[in-house]
Amino acid sequence: MRSTLRRGRAWPLRGFGPALPALVFLFVFMVAPLAVLFLRSVTEPTLGLGNYAELLGDATYGRVLFNTFTVATVVTVVTLALGYPVAWLLVILPSRVARWLFAIILLSMWTNLLARTYGWMVLLQRTGVINRTLMDLGLISEPLPLVNNLAGVTIGMTYIMLPFIILPLHATLSAIDPAIMQAASIAGARPRQIFFRVLLPLSLPGIGAGCLMVFVMALGYYVTPALLGGASTTMLAELIAQQVQSLLNWGLGSAAAFILLTVTLILYAIYVRAIGLGRPQ
Amino acid sequence: MSSTAPVLVSIRDLVKRFGPTTAVDGVSLDVAQGEFLTFLGSSGSGKTTTLFIVAGFEDPTGGDVLIDGRSVLSVAPNKRNIGMVFQRYTLFPHLSVFDNVAFPLAVRRRPRHEIEQAVKETLALVRLEEFAARKPGQLSGGQQQRVALARALVYKPRILLMDEPLAALDKKLREEIQIEIRRIHRELGVTILYVTHDQEEALRLSDRIAVFSHGRVVQVGSGADLYERPADAFVAGFIGNSNFLPARVRGVDAERTAVELPNGAVVAGRTDSALASGGEASLMIRPEKLFLVNGRDAPDANYDCRVDVTLRDSTYLGDSLQREVVTPWGQCLMVRQTGDAEALSHAGTGAALTLCWHSGDARVFRKTAGSSAPRS
Ligand SMILES: Nc1ncnc2c1ncn2[C@@H]1O[C@H](COP(=O)(O)OP(=O)(O)O)[C@@H](O)[C@H]1O
Ligand SMILES: [Mg+2]
Repeated sequence: MRSTLRRGRAWPLRGFGPALPALVFLFVFMVAPLAVLFLRSVTEPTLGLGNYAELLGDATYGRVLFNTFTVATVVTVVTLALGYPVAWLLVILPSRVARWLFAIILLSMWTNLLARTYGWMVLLQRTGVINRTLMDLGLISEPLPLVNNLAGVTIGMTYIMLPFIILPLHATLSAIDPAIMQAASIAGARPRQIFFRVLLPLSLPGIGAGCLMVFVMALGYYVTPALLGGASTTMLAELIAQQVQSLLNWGLGSAAAFILLTVTLILYAIYVRAIGLGRPQ
Repeated sequence: MSSTAPVLVSIRDLVKRFGPTTAVDGVSLDVAQGEFLTFLGSSGSGKTTTLFIVAGFEDPTGGDVLIDGRSVLSVAPNKRNIGMVFQRYTLFPHLSVFDNVAFPLAVRRRPRHEIEQAVKETLALVRLEEFAARKPGQLSGGQQQRVALARALVYKPRILLMDEPLAALDKKLREEIQIEIRRIHRELGVTILYVTHDQEEALRLSDRIAVFSHGRVVQVGSGADLYERPADAFVAGFIGNSNFLPARVRGVDAERTAVELPNGAVVAGRTDSALASGGEASLMIRPEKLFLVNGRDAPDANYDCRVDVTLRDSTYLGDSLQREVVTPWGQCLMVRQTGDAEALSHAGTGAALTLCWHSGDARVFRKTAGSSAPRS
C-alpha cells in the first residue's frame, strides 16, 4: 500500500520543495554547529583525540560518566515500573475517568520545569516537608539526605520523565485488542500468565520507545541534576556547562557532548533494529 | 443430536442489563452433550452477550449457567475448560502458529513431548500442519480462524463456543470452513455453541437453532422445524424467504383457519396459536409453495386456495424460475417455480394468471407490531 503510493505517478504530491525551509533550518542550526563542535573537540587545544582520551581515561570524568549512566538507568527502570501500571489503568478505566487522569499527567508535564524542580527542593530538603513529617511521626530521628545527592536527582527526574513513558506505553497498550486477552483467559491462562505471555510481549514496542525516550533525555538532563544534585553527583550535561561556561574549555566540552550524542545514536540504532520504526512487518 | 444425550450446558432464565439496555432478556436453553446448537439472530439481539456469559467474560444480572448440573458463575473463564473462537482475529501476534496452538497446554504446564504431539494432531485436524512455523500476520483470514479453532480444541474441551468466526470471510471460503467445522464436530463429538446472523450457515451446521430476537429466544428447533413450523412471523421471516399476506380471521376449526384477503377471497392456513374471529392476521406462504396457472386453465384440485394476479417480472436462476406477481390489492409476491417452470415460460409481463396453493402449506400468524410487516 505505502510502497505503491511512493511509486511514481500514483502519488502526485511529490518533491521536497515545501520541506525546504525546515531542511535549511535543520542544516544551519543543527548539522553545521555539530560539525563545528566536532572540529573543536579534535583540534582544541591540540590536534587529535586527546580530549576523548582524557574524558574516558581520567577518574574524575569517569565518575561523571558513571553518575550519568547510573542515574539514567535507575530513572528509566523506576519510571517504567511506575508508568506501566498507570498506562494500563488509562486503558481500562472508563473513558470519562481516564480523560481526567490524562489531564493531570499532561498538566504536570506542561508546568514549568524550574517551578517543579524548586518544588521538589522544598519537599526534599533537610527541613523539608517529607523529612519534617517523617520526624513528627517518629519514623526517623535524623533528617534523611534527600537532596544534593543521587537520590534527590533520581526522585526529581523520575517524576519529570513519567509522562514520557506513560504516553508511548498508553498508545501501544490501547492498540491491543482486549479480545486477545479474553482468548488467552478462556484458553486457560491465569492473570499472571496473561501478563507475562501476552500483554508484556505485545507492549514491548511501547516499552522500547518509552525507555529510549527517558534514558536519552536523562543522559543529557541539566536542570534537575544541577539543582537537586551535589558536587559529587555531577552529570555529563553539568560537566559540559562547566567546561564551556566557566573554564572556556571548548575542546573538552565538545568531546563530552559528542560522547553523549554517540551513545544516543547507538541506543537509537539498537532500538530500531530490535523494534523497528513502528511499522508492522 | 439424539434426544437421549444428557444435558451438558443449561442456561436458566439468563438476564443481562447494560445500564438501560437489556441485552439478554430471560434466555433459557438446554444443550445436550455432543450437540451443535446455533444462536441465530440479527445484530444486537443478545447472542454474543449470552455466549460471553457462558464463557465467563460477563456476569449475568440474573439467571444461572450450569455445566454438568453445577453452576459455573463463580468459576473464572480460565478454569471453565471451555474452548472459544472469536469473531475478530485473536491469535497472539508475537507467537508462531505452533506456539499459538501450544499456548493452552503451555499454561497448563504439560510436558514438552505431550504438547508437541497434541499440537501436531490438532494442526492436522484443521489441515494446517505445514504452517506451524508461520506468524499469524503471514496467514490469510481463513487460515487464522482455523488456527484459532485448533487453539480452542487442542486441550480437548467438552464445550466449544464460536462467535461468528466466519463473518469476516468471503462466501466461498466460509462454505469451505463450514464443511470443516461439521467434520470436526462429527469426529470429536464436542458440544458446540455457535453464533451467527446468517440463516444459511445456521441451517448448514446445526443440529438445533435458537432464534434470538431482542434478547429473547423466540424458537428453538431443528432447521426443518423452524422452516416448516415457524412459531411466529418473525421466525418465518428470518428463516428462508416468505410472503406475508394481510388477512382477517373468518373462521377457526381444529385443522385450518379461514381468512379473508383484502380482495375478499377467502383462503385458509394452519395455525398453532388461538386467533379471534374478525381479528387481523398475517398469512405466510413460502415462494416455492406457490404455483401459477394460466387464468383459463382449471387449477389442480390439490390447491384449495387461489388469487388472481398479474405477472410483473420473471428471473431465470438456473435451477429455478423466480417470478414476481402483483395481487389485486397491489402487493408484490415472490413465486419460485422449479418442476413446471417450462409450462408458463411464454407468459409475458402483464399476463393475467391465477396464483394457487395448498392450505396446508400456508400459516396464519397473529398480527404483532413490527414483526409481521410484509416484505415486498
Ligand atoms: N459492554 C456493553 N455495554 C453496553 N451495551 C452492550 C454491551 N455489550 C452489548 N451491549 C448491548 O447489548 C445488546 C446485545 O448485544 P450483543 O449480545 O453483542 O448482540 P449480538 O451478538 O446478537 O449482535 C446490544 O444492544 C448491545 O448494544
Ligand atoms: Mg455479536
